[in-house]
Amino acid sequence: MRISIENFTKSFGDTTVIEDMSLEIGDGEMLALLGPSGCGKSTTLFAICGIHRMNAGRLMFGDTDVTEVSSQKRNVGVVFQNYALYPHMNVYENIAFPLKVRKESKAEVDRKVQEIAGLVHIGELLQRRPMQLSGGQQQRVALARALIRKPDILLLDEPLANLDAKLRLEMRSEIRRIQLATGITAVLVTHDQVEAMSMCDRIALMDKGQIVQLSTPKDMYENPSSDFVAGFLGNPPIAFLDGTVADGEFRLANSQVTLPVPSGIEIPGEGAPMRFGVRPEFFQPGNPLKVPGKVSFVETQGREELYDVMLENGAVLRSIQSQNAGFRLGQEVSWGIEQDRVLAFGPDGNRL
Amino acid sequence: MRRAHLLGLGFLSPALAIILMLFLIPVLLTVMFSFTNMSTATGISGGAYEINAASLRKLADAGAQESFVETLGKESFVVDDAGITAAAAAYGEQFANEVGSQMLGERFSSRRDLERAFRKLKSRPRSTRDIKKAANLFKRSVLNIRFETAGGLVGAVTDNGIEMTPDQQELLTKTIYTGWTWTSDNFALMAQIPYVWRVAGNTVLYVVLTLAASVGLGLFLAITTFYLPSSSATSFRAIWFLPRILPNVIFVLMWKWLAWDTGFLSSLFANFGVPPRNWMLDTGVNAWVFIVLINGIVGASLGMILFGSAIKSIPQSMLHASEVDGASRWQQICYIILPQLRWPIMFICAYSTLSLLTSFEYILLSTDGGPGGATEVWSLMAFHTALDNYAGNLQYGLGAAMALMLVIVGILASLVYLRIFNFNDLVAKPRIEQ
Repeated sequence: MRISIENFTKSFGDTTVIEDMSLEIGDGEMLALLGPSGCGKSTTLFAICGIHRMNAGRLMFGDTDVTEVSSQKRNVGVVFQNYALYPHMNVYENIAFPLKVRKESKAEVDRKVQEIAGLVHIGELLQRRPMQLSGGQQQRVALARALIRKPDILLLDEPLANLDAKLRLEMRSEIRRIQLATGITAVLVTHDQVEAMSMCDRIALMDKGQIVQLSTPKDMYENPSSDFVAGFLGNPPIAFLDGTVADGEFRLANSQVTLPVPSGIEIPGEGAPMRFGVRPEFFQPGNPLKVPGKVSFVETQGREELYDVMLENGAVLRSIQSQNAGFRLGQEVSWGIEQDRVLAFGPDGNRL
Repeated sequence: MRRAHLLGLGFLSPALAIILMLFLIPVLLTVMFSFTNMSTATGISGGAYEINAASLRKLADAGAQESFVETLGKESFVVDDAGITAAAAAYGEQFANEVGSQMLGERFSSRRDLERAFRKLKSRPRSTRDIKKAANLFKRSVLNIRFETAGGLVGAVTDNGIEMTPDQQELLTKTIYTGWTWTSDNFALMAQIPYVWRVAGNTVLYVVLTLAASVGLGLFLAITTFYLPSSSATSFRAIWFLPRILPNVIFVLMWKWLAWDTGFLSSLFANFGVPPRNWMLDTGVNAWVFIVLINGIVGASLGMILFGSAIKSIPQSMLHASEVDGASRWQQICYIILPQLRWPIMFICAYSTLSLLTSFEYILLSTDGGPGGATEVWSLMAFHTALDNYAGNLQYGLGAAMALMLVIVGILASLVYLRIFNFNDLVAKPRIEQ
């Protein structure tokens, strides 16, 4: 079901967390609310499920205005960060709880629980208590409970934050699989850009209560609207070079090194400050636009190696290269930047 | 021992002292007293042996032979050295010597016989009156003489020429002792008290009703204040906590003012033509209503605090989850909150049962067990028997035996609770993952 948030404002006491936010989520879409801690993404999620009342604005599920509808009647499923399983009920009772409060018949409840348990692969755990389950199993139970009454919308609040790295990978694809299988509209709140990019159709990147950019993961990665977005996406992160415009070129701060500005962007006036963003994969020994520097950090990641190269003015560029390149710490190198893939930002941080 | 150990012991010592002084020693003394017949009549220090009119009656009641009791009560006249010395002082050496030489060791069962014997003497006093007086000097009796030991008493009795079988001797010394003795009769005596079973029933009623009232009210307050905005919740909790910090006497006094025949209730109902009465002591049912309310409201404050903090420790997200799962407030309380209050509720029940069994201060202050013993509970009965007896004879021994029953019941209940609770579980890490 389509969700549309219009001019949403939320404040706690005197603190306004979100001001005049609007967001449209398509039917069957999985959207990530991505952002650093305190950016208002969980607040938005709680407003959608009705736990928090909106101070101003309107919330539509499909064509229905649910702004004033209580959370009990909104028919949304929520998976909480700590799963919020009821410790005094076993798995079966946990999953059946939303049906129990609707007083559905025993046979009906049993059929639905078995069905959903099959979908999330926990059929053999139904008699266990939540305490006796691993994190990943608890996660699946929480998912099953959220999905059992066929909600219009599935909300996931940092669902992977409490899992270890291996399980996180597994559950990432599991959640996506289940979302696709049910065709449910889903909103995922996360601060992990990898989760957002790998699981969702679109990402809404939030900062300080505002949506900074809303687009597909690939587009957001390749065309960030600001240096904040560029810095938030990508691992290892993008490296920034500060400098000024000199003779239609980019001159590094405190240095005579100049770099040509990528084609097709509007160059600000002479002497204006400017920022270049270079992703590690576009700073490689083979590229033509050479920049001299010194290897200041080497990190082996198994399949790849990550280098930090300090330029003569102290700025740092990152490079990620396949293994066995064999560069050592302190070695003088002169690697090249892929000119067309450089992201240029203006003095206010916005993309040029 | 390391210094840290000594320091730990030092920190523990106040607690150890309190356990020793306020628990172990009282329990030991209760056990000790319960096996005595101490009362106001016996005193708590030792006693003495004395045969007097009252003790003779007691002896007869205890089943001594009539002739034996009679002999003990009779006077006899014995010519002995003490009598002769007294006679010498009163009637001259001559008379004394004559009595000594002719009659020493003789025994007469009545004064008349002795007088007759005196008249045969040459140096007897001239007047009949003096002879009577002289005879009186030889009167020997065990009546109204205090003996510190049983041996002294037995010696005196045999000296007076009274023969006793060993059985009679034992019965005598046992019956006429005025101090306390060791005995296990208290327990048999307790079972014979006609109202003891009603008091036991009252105790059960008191514990069950008060517990139900305080847990129910405590739960109600905890849940309602949980859903209130925090500022007003705090003031409500403070108000409900007042009875606990109020001095007991003032708290009960306010209830009495409420219930007196010139009090609030009577004045209020007077407007509707109801005749004034003491609403608290009017009938047994009324008294019970007040007892349960007074104790229940005090107990509710503890439940409110405990249940309230237990509810607060339920993670917010769990309550949020139940809301988005579609549970109404009522369903949230029934399915999410109450099941997670199981342990605090059981704890309050266990704790309150034990404390209610032994507490009687509010009953003492409000109805004092009345009307007509309708609200007399076991601990109050023990108090009344041992320390506040209407008849004036405080039966410490019997009262201690009653209290000992409570100690035994309390210890048994604690053992049962420890088993049910599995104490290790109680002190284990919280079950709710934050």
